[in-house]
Amino acid sequence: MSEQAPRGATVEATALGRRFGDRPALAGIDLRIEAGESFGLLGANGAGKTTFIRLLTGYLVPSSGSVTVDGFEPIADARAVHERIGFVAETSRLYPELRVRGFLRFAGGVRGLSGAPLRDAVDRALARFALEDVALRPIGNLSKGYQQRVNLAQAFLHDPALLIVDEPTAGLDPLQQADVRRELHGAAGERTLLLCTHDLGEARELTRRVAVLSRGRLVACGPTAEILGAGDLLALFRGPEAAA
Amino acid sequence: MTALRALVRKELAVLFGSPVAWLTLAAIGLVTALLFFDHLRIYNQILFLFASSTMGGFESDTVPAYVNLRDQVFLPVMETLALTLVGLIPLITMRVFAEERARGTDELLATTLLTPNQIVAGKSIAAYAFVALALALSFVYPATSIVRAGLGLPHLLAVYLGLFGLGIALTSVGLVCSAFTSSQLVAAISAYAVAFVLYDFRWMAQFLPDAAARAIDPLSMHLRFGAFAEGLVRGADVAYFAGYVLVAFALCRLAHDQARVR
Repeated sequence: MSEQAPRGATVEATALGRRFGDRPALAGIDLRIEAGESFGLLGANGAGKTTFIRLLTGYLVPSSGSVTVDGFEPIADARAVHERIGFVAETSRLYPELRVRGFLRFAGGVRGLSGAPLRDAVDRALARFALEDVALRPIGNLSKGYQQRVNLAQAFLHDPALLIVDEPTAGLDPLQQADVRRELHGAAGERTLLLCTHDLGEARELTRRVAVLSRGRLVACGPTAEILGAGDLLALFRGPEAAA
Repeated sequence: MTALRALVRKELAVLFGSPVAWLTLAAIGLVTALLFFDHLRIYNQILFLFASSTMGGFESDTVPAYVNLRDQVFLPVMETLALTLVGLIPLITMRVFAEERARGTDELLATTLLTPNQIVAGKSIAAYAFVALALALSFVYPATSIVRAGLGLPHLLAVYLGLFGLGIALTSVGLVCSAFTSSQLVAAISAYAVAFVLYDFRWMAQFLPDAAARAIDPLSMHLRFGAFAEGLVRGADVAYFAGYVLVAFALCRLAHDQARVR
């Protein structure tokens, strides 16, 4: 019996670097995330996690090196990359004036869905994330937990091969956090999951392998249990310079 | 095209989801109505005075040619409507790019199938469409001028083409100001400043040598609009207003690209 190819997209960063003026935000990042893998990107605030994601989505241009999704570069092959990715940012990055269904229709439309496939995708997303009861309410009137469900729903509309999630539980209460984690847990395995967080419990629960960034450098990469179970994690977050 | 259409719809939905759009439309409708009826009242009074055989030695029904609906009502209303656009359009354009950047939703847009050109085009199309709608709302009063005074549809269309050109130019200025900042306040204030300078250059002439004054005078929006108000549709004036769209598109695209590499 032939082995089935893993679902999801491969991410590969080679000597990836990014500077903001004179300040290096990322330097010499070499990283490979396999298709179907649940991968965590850990680090303190300002470590370079969000910059890595922004380079991966094509929102920022690298200062050096490259990053690819299934071999495609986010700037040169934007369409090929964007067809593969779903992006979940913090809850505040939504349109509070739009109604839930209207927002999902927009999110599907800008990913190339229209007509019956768009209607079906929106209905499926509303059902999957239990949003039917609030479908006609403005996003700004929803609780943070519901807003994050809307955020997750928009990322799943086009069934992406790579789901990029940036601080998905920031600002949520414990019940809402559990809700979001359950959804992400369900998504893991169906596709590649790149979780960007500084919440170690979240990383433990949702990822199999993690990389730790500190001051723009990759300071550790390996199985989640091994990295999070070893030594002084805070020292790892602070980076080798701080330890010296 | 699907993605572009979705973006335009979203822009209009976000715009009409805020009270600013409704207040702007109401203000344009109200200002046009008040001005129209005020000028009509004054026109009727003048007409009555001139028509009266007891006034100034005029014979009955000998009203001078310049006392007509076109010059006393229609053109002043259109002139003031043009100034109203200068005051209101920056309130609409200030949020277009700045709000998206401040909220961080531009990052979400960057992960979709929209190209940078489509993002700029979609946002611009929605803003221009809003201006067209606002002008359409003001159409009813000038339209009565045609019916009552036989001004002629071509003249009215020329004036509205001029107003639309002016609206497009002011919107373009506002879009550029919004594209280079994440603060709506900065976008609005800078749009007012640039719009007031570009609206009428003639005040600047007194500070400049004659040659320079003559060179910048044709760049004035008011001068270009004036030709349309007279019923003249000239290719150069149309090109002038269309030029704003092209320059604004290029500058908004530049701002978009700068944000990715800075």
